[in-house]
Amino acid sequence: MHIPDGILPASVCIAGYAIAAPFAWYSLRQINRLKDPTEELPKASLLTAAFFIASSINIPVPPSSVHLVLNGLLGSILGYFAFPAILVGLFFQAIMFGHGGLTTLGVDAVMMGVPALVAHHIFQLRHVFRQKLGEKLATSIFAFLAGALGLGLSAVIFFFLVITNIPSGFDAQTEQAAVYGLTLAHLPLMLIEGTFTLLLVAFLQRVKPELIERRG
Amino acid sequence: MKRTFAIPLVLMSVMGWQVRAIAHGVEINYQATEAIALQANYDSGEPMAEAQVSVYSPEDPSTPWLTGTADASGRFVFAPDPSIPGNWEVQVRQAGHGEILNIPVGGEEGVLATSADGSREPGASATDGESDSQIVSSTGDNLSLPQKGLMAVSVIWGFVGTALFFLARKK
Repeated sequence: MHIPDGILPASVCIAGYAIAAPFAWYSLRQINRLKDPTEELPKASLLTAAFFIASSINIPVPPSSVHLVLNGLLGSILGYFAFPAILVGLFFQAIMFGHGGLTTLGVDAVMMGVPALVAHHIFQLRHVFRQKLGEKLATSIFAFLAGALGLGLSAVIFFFLVITNIPSGFDAQTEQAAVYGLTLAHLPLMLIEGTFTLLLVAFLQRVKPELIERRG
Repeated sequence: MKRTFAIPLVLMSVMGWQVRAIAHGVEINYQATEAIALQANYDSGEPMAEAQVSVYSPEDPSTPWLTGTADASGRFVFAPDPSIPGNWEVQVRQAGHGEILNIPVGGEEGVLATSADGSREPGASATDGESDSQIVSSTGDNLSLPQKGLMAVSVIWGFVGTALFFLARKK
């Protein structure tokens, strides 16, 4: 899922940074508006660690394999903390393991961070449906949707970025087929991440419900 | 008259002698040459089977000098033109994953990579002996599993430490 150095042309990499910057700024501003911004930091820090290590966990989806991303999970539980958390996590992944790259850090941050913010808003929708569905069911449904759609949106962005940037030296058809294959392999991963988000939210709701309550 | 026929006849016989292969016989020559063998793996260790490979010569870094496909075990072999010394760029790509590798061939750059024993002459091929074959790896692959594990644990401990720090401050 991470786009490494040298895959995208320089203009796209710069555009990635240009798009990531306002999202980072907006997220930090939202965080700064909280009563106590440091209150959420332990949670954000731990989930950054989870995000950092998640990409090392490979799940075989024949014929290839995909790895966990957990951006939807971060979005639902951290809210606006998710974007800086993902940025930090991606930075460490690129430096430590060469997973992703520094030139593509902006692109990767947009690809995973923006869907995380979308996931946050999807998860907030549970308050709207609370009356109709009941507290528990609404939380479960929207936790699953946030986890699954956060990842799904990332896969779609990845798909468009890669499919529109195949350099002339490569056989476009073969590469397209490979990209289709990899994107389809993310469908089962959507289910896995959705379920994982649902389980974690259900667990937190039982043991420490204030962790997933609305902030601000 | 005799002369004007003689010249084309001589030419024909000489030419014909050279292009003998126009007939159905096939002549295949071979020569040992310096070749570069690539092994492309994902960082999970799986080979990049059937990945596309583009080779760019140092003279023209924008149009591929050679394109091809790795085999099922992620291997790709090509013979760069030794008359073009410099950094040959090899791009391996599959489904948006890939890597660029610079391979020095011949000339001064070739020496840089193989100067471990001073006896080698510049531009000597790297394949004329088992002991001389060099393995160049792109980033990320040259770390052993324990190293990677320790790095991961250190980073995670950094995050957990940050969490504990802010937790302690809260109280």
